[in-house]
Amino acid sequence: MNGYNFAYLDEQTKRMIRRALLKAVAIPGYQVPFGGREMPMPYGWGTGGMQLTASILGSDDVLKVIDQGADDTTNAVSIRAFFQRVAGVETTTATTSASVIQTRHRIPEAALSHGQILVFQVPIPEPLRFIEPSEQETRLMHALEEYGVMHVKLYEDIARYGHIATTYAYPVKVDDRYVMDPSPIPKFDNPKLHMNEALMLFGAGREKRLYAIPPYTRVESLDFEDHPFEIQAWDECCALCGSETSYLDEVITDDAGNRMFVCSDTDYCMTRRGEVA
Amino acid sequence: MLWPGLTDPVHDSQRLFRQILQAMSEPGTLHNLDLDAPPEVAPIGAALWGALLTLCDLDTRVWIARELDTPALREALSFHTGCRLADDPASADFAVVTPTTLHTEIAFATGSDEYPDRSTTLLVSLDSLNDQGPWQISGPGIPERRWLDVGDGEALMGCLARNHTQFPRGLDALLACDARLTAIPRSSRIEKCLKEDRSCMSQ
Repeated sequence: MNGYNFAYLDEQTKRMIRRALLKAVAIPGYQVPFGGREMPMPYGWGTGGMQLTASILGSDDVLKVIDQGADDTTNAVSIRAFFQRVAGVETTTATTSASVIQTRHRIPEAALSHGQILVFQVPIPEPLRFIEPSEQETRLMHALEEYGVMHVKLYEDIARYGHIATTYAYPVKVDDRYVMDPSPIPKFDNPKLHMNEALMLFGAGREKRLYAIPPYTRVESLDFEDHPFEIQAWDECCALCGSETSYLDEVITDDAGNRMFVCSDTDYCMTRRGEVA
Repeated sequence: MLWPGLTDPVHDSQRLFRQILQAMSEPGTLHNLDLDAPPEVAPIGAALWGALLTLCDLDTRVWIARELDTPALREALSFHTGCRLADDPASADFAVVTPTTLHTEIAFATGSDEYPDRSTTLLVSLDSLNDQGPWQISGPGIPERRWLDVGDGEALMGCLARNHTQFPRGLDALLACDARLTAIPRSSRIEKCLKEDRSCMSQ
């Protein structure tokens, strides 16, 4: 596309983000501040993820973009079209053939492989933010590894509901040091963060923070001995592909109370239906 | 003779960055950086030159160790990247060093507890670099463990191992010999394995 540098961002911005990414990878789970740029869409639509994608993307990459697991929702379609236009890269919906996957709020069901990069869009990077509004204080809490308050928050769930009621953006501890917000992925996806073969990068555009989990890194979800971490489970299976192991969305089908459960990962569901058919 | 820059600055720096990113996220893996090498007489090889071209610009300060400091390197760096050269190692974003440099204690920036990212990245020029050797590294990015041979590496690995004990503060290092490059970030645990008894000594 004429008038723009390859992948939209100018080279100086890319270098600044690249230097920050190297620090993020060297300190897994630590939030590195970066000079976030205005992107041609509003905050909250994945400007952080897009800036990371633009900084790592090359002309031989194959890009996949998902929004809540789906390739065909507004956010995914427009970001995919954006990079097609400003970088001319090949795009795909198949998880296994993508080299870079930008995601909003899901980790694909198909196992990621070595060499793939998963870029998360993050709204609020600070896991302690709802407990402590001051950035200075939360920085200090991370510095001192002062994470007791996070356990108190989870314990309050147990005291009130009898179980940990946090179902998404469930806090994790990376390599036994930093408590990190895995972005609003369902806690169903948390176990996939642990020792994943792919490099995982997180970008928050409004908050101007980025962080990373290198491949093969220990990632634990916070829990208690007597209330161990558990993922969601459903009595139903996917109404389209019959999967009993994937993350399911509940879809209301009429106004008489009828509903169905379908895979949130559209590529996984379509692939399975292809196999079944 | 003027040192060569990147033929295609946009795509070459992207390609080199991805290799450096992979090296940093999978410590101990070797990567061959493909670019025009600096002249024979240059104190650094192609991989370190590639890393400097990829990562430096007018926002960065580079510190050069005395044994590598030549007018040609300074001139090439200013011409191709526009980076500033630092006299004080504590203010450097990148430091170009050799293992010999690290025999003496140099006060590079290691960041603060609140902002550990404000630290120097070492660019270490090595005489040899192989993935079979006495130095065992483990930690994030490494499935179990990897081994490295960095030539005469006692001072270098000692420095990097001490560095890990200050985590999250610390230095990250890109190690390079000619076109070959690997990385040891501060998150890596380093041990020396003696061949005879296979036992590991923690540094």
